Amino acid sequence: MPSLKTPRFTRRHALVLGAGALAAPWIARPGFAQGDAIRIGSLTPNTGGGSPFGPEIAEAHRLVVELVNSQGGVNGREIILTQENSETNPEVAVRAARKLIDADRVMAILGTWSSSVTLGVMPLCQEANVIQMCTSSSESIPAGDKKGLLFDFQALNPAWGKAIARLAVARGFKEIAVMGINNDFTTSMIGTFQQSLEEGGGKVVNEPFLYNPNQPSYRAEVERLIAGNPPAVFIPSYVTDFTAVYREIFRSGYEGQVITISLSTGPQFKEAVGEAANGILHGFPVPPVGKDTFDAYLRFVGLEPNGQVQRPFGSAGYDQINTLLLGIAKAGNLDPFEVAKAIFAISNAPGERVTTYAEGAEKIAAGAEVNYDGASSSVDFLPNGMLASRDFELYEIRDGKDVSLERITSAS
Amino acid sequence: MTAYLVAILTSVGFYVVLALALNLQWGLTGMLNFGLAGFYALGAYASAITTELGGMPFLAGFAMAIVVGTLAGLAVAGLSARLVGDFLAIATLGFAEIVRFLALNEDWLTRGPRGFPIETRPIPEGLSREASAWAYLGLVALLVVVAFVIVERIRTAPMGRVLRAIREDELVPAALGKDVFRFKLKAFALGAALAAAAGSLYAHWVQNISPDHFTTALAIGVWMSLIVGGTGNNRGVLVGATLVMVILEGSRFLTGVVPGLDAERLSALRIALIGVLIIVTVRFRPEGLLPEPRIRLETPAKGA
Repeated sequence: MPSLKTPRFTRRHALVLGAGALAAPWIARPGFAQGDAIRIGSLTPNTGGGSPFGPEIAEAHRLVVELVNSQGGVNGREIILTQENSETNPEVAVRAARKLIDADRVMAILGTWSSSVTLGVMPLCQEANVIQMCTSSSESIPAGDKKGLLFDFQALNPAWGKAIARLAVARGFKEIAVMGINNDFTTSMIGTFQQSLEEGGGKVVNEPFLYNPNQPSYRAEVERLIAGNPPAVFIPSYVTDFTAVYREIFRSGYEGQVITISLSTGPQFKEAVGEAANGILHGFPVPPVGKDTFDAYLRFVGLEPNGQVQRPFGSAGYDQINTLLLGIAKAGNLDPFEVAKAIFAISNAPGERVTTYAEGAEKIAAGAEVNYDGASSSVDFLPNGMLASRDFELYEIRDGKDVSLERITSAS
Repeated sequence: MTAYLVAILTSVGFYVVLALALNLQWGLTGMLNFGLAGFYALGAYASAITTELGGMPFLAGFAMAIVVGTLAGLAVAGLSARLVGDFLAIATLGFAEIVRFLALNEDWLTRGPRGFPIETRPIPEGLSREASAWAYLGLVALLVVVAFVIVERIRTAPMGRVLRAIREDELVPAALGKDVFRFKLKAFALGAALAAAAGSLYAHWVQNISPDHFTTALAIGVWMSLIVGGTGNNRGVLVGATLVMVILEGSRFLTGVVPGLDAERLSALRIALIGVLIIVTVRFRPEGLLPEPRIRLETPAKGA
């Protein structure tokens, strides 16, 4: 029983509290009055499944915007960047995108990473004529973009499967068993992996299958995968489940070659399995290590180029914001369709090669055609907004480190 | 800004209907349902499949969602009839996972992790963005009103008394000749149907659903609405769901106001805030902001 002295929390209090909480953000907001400001949204997976990569994308967006603003903005207009966290969850991302579109009035949403988030916010962006820039690899992405407003800075899944199969064949692996984590990311990858392997004279042994993540044990799946002792296995997966899957493979005494994608073999994995990681082959669409644009990006975010892949998605974030700003500079206005058209113009040939916003803006102002060459790829788009090509690299883990074996450029 | 507030109110609407459903199941009847997201997902997919693959209008999808939701509710409640408390919670959690995995794996039907694009909308074509946002809010508000009336009516009706008696001690209504099992089935199935109806409207609102939309995190948000608002009180549910959404969404505007707060820290802070709210509520106001109305009993005068 509450005594008489206990302060009671009444409905009236609740009402005041609620109204206060609703009103506070607007009362405290600084009074911006830029009618001409360029408003851009960044929606990155800072927590959840994409958390290893979200912050580096967000940072790239922020640093480029700060730099361009300090140099006088785009065509004299200030850029206002609003950053939100998608939590790698489409339900949350949809609400965040509503806020970006309707409250912040952004003209573009950059940085969505997982396909479910990119696809989840796509109907909103399409309805509101908002440009989208993402690094998602679902092959359903181009179909959803009916207005030609989406630009994808990642190779689509089929390209991954194709490239890794080619790399495997080149290493002499012709009979490969396949299992993959059940998500959009791997399902279409497996199809093209199989096709490309067969074109190279190899074949997939056993029936390829999918497994569900977050299982307590993967024994049954692993037994099925290595049945008949195939010379190699390909396991496209994420780092959390791959660690558990690989433990099971190791325990089974399998002696063939394990091939996976580099997303699965990050530092987290190597730490978890130690020496047992040696010998694994993994491939990944990579930024062009050693190229001037990638080195310039690394220095820009305060890192030293070391010949290794660093910030695989941050480099794409850097290209997203540069491309968008150059597109706006070229279009000379904020009409999304004209900006989208301009993005094709400044990213694809013909034109003088430029690698930063400042360089490109100067040439655009002088009336020249430019062709942006990026830190994550050469940033050339197909008419559907998908990347024309990306570099793929095959690595082997030796002494706990990734050693590069071979690199190919794969058309999407 | 208006369009954003309209969108957020629409989101609140979905939370409110889910919380009302949960209030019927847990608040009144005492059936722990952690699988609310499963019924929500079921409604969303049932509706989407009916309209997109079956080529039927929205109303058919909506009706299908309710039918499927009811059947699933009956099945879950029927199969777990002997389970009470924690065990029912585990069974329902299992159900939600089953639904999620079905949606993930049966991609010939649900398009699996690729996401299910939904073209059919329950509002007229050709409205402006703002107008269609308002129209959708109207629809969701209508569902909220209907759900509220149903659940509130049950609460005040004799059925509500039986449900509360079941919540407090199943043996008592059983001893009075009430068919406890049937009442539990009814309450659970109706709650499931409401959740599925909300799922249907949600699916046609976001226009692209994937299993990731229906995680347990969503169900937890709804539980919070109920605990904070006042378990057993339908008006409290309205307050709770609004408050939870105000924290989830309102906190976004803290970036730029509070120095050193970026989107990443903020999303952690957001969850922490909700956690604090729960702890504070449970510690100082366990009955929630608006407690369940007390039933006035005639007590004999002292010394009588």
